[in-house]
Amino acid sequence: MTSGKLLRSIFFVEIIKGLAFTLKTLLFTKPVTRRYPKVKVPALPGFRGLHALAKNEEGKLKCVGCGLCGAYCPSKCIYIYTSEGDDHNKVVDRYEIDILRCIFCGFCVEACPFGAITLSEHYEYSNYQREDFYMTKDKLLGNWDKYFAGPKGERYFRDFWQPKSENFTGSEGQAMFSKVKVKEKK
Amino acid sequence: MNDIVNTVTTSGLLDMIINILFIVLKIAAVIAVGLLHVAYATYFERKVMAHMQVRIGPREVGPLGLFQPFADGIKLFFKEDIIPQNADKPLFYLAPVIFFVSALTSLSVLPFFDGFAIGNINIGLLFLFAMSSLGAYGIVLSGWSSNSKYAFLGGLRSASQIISYEISMGLSLVGVMMMAGSLNLMDIVRAQHHYPLGMFAVPQFLGFFVFIVAAFAETNRLPFDLPEAESELVAGYFTEYSGFRFAMFFLGEYTGMLVMSSIASLCFLGGWALPEFITASLPVFLAKALGLFWFLFKVYAFMFLYYWVRSTLPRYRYDQLMAIGWKLLIPLALVNIVITGLAKMWFKGLL
Repeated sequence: MTSGKLLRSIFFVEIIKGLAFTLKTLLFTKPVTRRYPKVKVPALPGFRGLHALAKNEEGKLKCVGCGLCGAYCPSKCIYIYTSEGDDHNKVVDRYEIDILRCIFCGFCVEACPFGAITLSEHYEYSNYQREDFYMTKDKLLGNWDKYFAGPKGERYFRDFWQPKSENFTGSEGQAMFSKVKVKEKK
Repeated sequence: MNDIVNTVTTSGLLDMIINILFIVLKIAAVIAVGLLHVAYATYFERKVMAHMQVRIGPREVGPLGLFQPFADGIKLFFKEDIIPQNADKPLFYLAPVIFFVSALTSLSVLPFFDGFAIGNINIGLLFLFAMSSLGAYGIVLSGWSSNSKYAFLGGLRSASQIISYEISMGLSLVGVMMMAGSLNLMDIVRAQHHYPLGMFAVPQFLGFFVFIVAAFAETNRLPFDLPEAESELVAGYFTEYSGFRFAMFFLGEYTGMLVMSSIASLCFLGGWALPEFITASLPVFLAKALGLFWFLFKVYAFMFLYYWVRSTLPRYRYDQLMAIGWKLLIPLALVNIVITGLAKMWFKGLL
């Protein structure tokens, strides 16, 4: 043991360094605790939360029952049942999502050519029964009314979940390659 | 106060009864206030440790979480009291009581301000040692009677640890006794007046260091909390205890910390004693109240050291703990005694 090392261990240099560090933390560092249920963290732009089925201007279901979302879904949790309507059009009878199996990848939204399925910012939907996590068509339409109502929901839908076939411009909050120039839609 | 009582009453019996009542009142006041301090010592610990770990600590119960200790107490009181089937029942019942009572009894000889102690006895310091070793019985018995390997190991560790560190703690305070020439805690405080800063901590810095380390080990706190090492022994000797019996261990531990801090404050840091120029101009009552606050300030500063070290240092290994106790602290304390004795012999006028 060298003399320097001996001196350091006699005068507890390492321990005093540690004590100084904790004292500095006590005095000058702000706690990082988030007081979650009392102070809610706003969802980041493009957050993928609870699903909703979009309605058009007439308040009708946008979904046409093509089944692309269900075909794309990696966890295969979207079930669509259609039948033939009165004037030979396709009618979506049932549109169901098993939320407990969903991995919230957002592929269904990307797949949809009509912007009919969307993901809201809502993330607090814990519940007591498994049935509450099985979303039927009515529940999904209700989600649209709840979480996409008003200008905030409109902006959210426009920026993140409308089909790319309608608008190719990226939103302000969207992560993009810096070299890529955003083409304005004419 | 007793003089007033004497003049009012003429009968000796009445005098005695009133005296006893007075002492009971004193005891009740000290225990109530002491336990309140213990309750807030836990709150203080949680807050300090939380902020050292970049958290915020209790905040929900009452303003700033100030009622948290009471919420915890009420919760513990209503918890189910579980006793292991193969436990040695009489000992199992007895152990927390021994631990708690010995911790509380230590409060009786502590002078909180000038002239106030429940029992101002001449062997105050010795009494405190006796009580803290008696507390070890509570730990050992709880470890033995629980019939659980974790509790048993915790009890064993605690027994050897407390016995080892009792020696170095006693020896570290011998220097103080030699300088004060007394075991009475009030005399010890008064003897510190003439020393630099009004503290024995300056001339007795070696003894103070040994005392601090031994006090940490004696109260089973980090970095010497091997008896209750959570990561190895679940909770150590009180693993099998629940409900109010657990609360007794908990309170006993924090009372023990409070007592150790008080000993440090009284024997090394000058206790309640304030400089003369402050107390001379104040009325007696105010001077005593100020003395009490000065004493409590030192106690809480020492408690803060407990928490500070707890949130900084990891636990020592068992052989390291024993090596520190026997190979470092005891020789240091002995050297301190020899130096103090020689200094006392050579500089008779100064010390």
